[in-house]
Amino acid sequence: MQTVKMVISGAVNAGKTEFIKAISEIEVVSTERRATDDTKMIKKETTVAMDFGRIAIADDLVLHLFGTPGQKRFDFMWEILSEGMLGLVILVDSTRPETFRETNRIIDFFVSYRDTSYVIAANKQDRPNAWSPDELRLALRQPPHVKVLPCVASDRDSVKNVLLELLYVIQERSEE
Amino acid sequence: MALVGNIKDFGLSDFLYLVDRGYKTGGLHLSHEQETALLFFDKGKLIMAARKPEDQQADLLVRLGLLNGDQLDQARQSLSTQGNGATLTQVIVDSQIASREQIQSVLQGFTEESVYGLFGWPEGEFRFEQNQRPAPDAPVVPIPISVDHLIMEGVRRIDEWGRIKDRIPSTDMIVRFLEQPDERAKGVKLAPEEWRIFARINGKDTLAEIARKTSLSEFDVCRIVYGFLTAGLVEVRKKPPVAVGRSAADAPRVKKSLVNRIINRIKGM
Repeated sequence: MQTVKMVISGAVNAGKTEFIKAISEIEVVSTERRATDDTKMIKKETTVAMDFGRIAIADDLVLHLFGTPGQKRFDFMWEILSEGMLGLVILVDSTRPETFRETNRIIDFFVSYRDTSYVIAANKQDRPNAWSPDELRLALRQPPHVKVLPCVASDRDSVKNVLLELLYVIQERSEE
Repeated sequence: MALVGNIKDFGLSDFLYLVDRGYKTGGLHLSHEQETALLFFDKGKLIMAARKPEDQQADLLVRLGLLNGDQLDQARQSLSTQGNGATLTQVIVDSQIASREQIQSVLQGFTEESVYGLFGWPEGEFRFEQNQRPAPDAPVVPIPISVDHLIMEGVRRIDEWGRIKDRIPSTDMIVRFLEQPDERAKGVKLAPEEWRIFARINGKDTLAEIARKTSLSEFDVCRIVYGFLTAGLVEVRKKPPVAVGRSAADAPRVKKSLVNRIINRIKGM
């Protein structure tokens, strides 16, 4: 059985758990604990270890989805999770510009050293005060070739679209 | 739809960059404690800045010594006979009440100074109303002002390591030019010290090495590079680690057939 891995990252409350829950075939293994630091100001429960989802591709192939913990003190987990990943989805809460700086730090971490295939998912596009994907591209200073996609992480079709767009990026860079 | 936030989290220079690169037209409303400001942009360029409500009025032209009261009345009358899209400053130029150069010089100086003061705000709410335009008789500059230059000047006034370190966490990072920096640099006026650093950027040297070669302090180099970075001229990256064995960057590419299988499965979900 071959397994491949995709990583879903983003700042606290970007929607990582929701994103994985929307598409995973198994109940998401989420190690939620009561937040102990300033993240509790944002939400009561936050991901302190990781989320894990799974999609069976065929009898011999499984796709694993890993959500990274959002808080800075779990940075060390990012290194471990990123080993051997097929691609990366960076989720951004489009309604909270105060998280854009942290999002850039995450992008920098995953992309600086590695030849990582990634897309940015502009989450919460259903909210009235959401920044559009074009505005997010400028705010995050992403070059034109990086896909910044509209997303609503609670919507399965929207999540499917983000994963497919990431797979097209990976496909372009894959070998025959 | 309005873009809202706080300049503590998304700095004024970052917002100006977004307006510039997004060719945005609209009004940026800022507030900090008892102070407010209103900036108007047209296709990414600044056309007006007011720190007080009275600075949005045509009377500003009299206060700045560009016109006297009678001339302003005459210009207002002419404006009232013009169609949509006419501006008071254009009417003044067309009626030869004052020259374009004279109005540009005085209003541009006033507008720029109004914006520079905003870079000192440690925080403040902002709201950008897309497509909001100033009143027809507002004192807009005849020739819109490039935002690149404002960003550079604004960043010169930043003297906090904290803000700089947000973008440049270490002096071991390397600096390199973004696409066609020469084209973008045309709108930016650099001070001699900034030129010294600009000329040393080669995509190989770290900030610490540039500081050594220019005999400037690491803080000064970082502050100046922060300005280039904010204006979108350069990027800073971590120095690639020396490869030991196979590096992550050399990770083997996946097979197209495997990717296609995953695509087909996700499509079918």
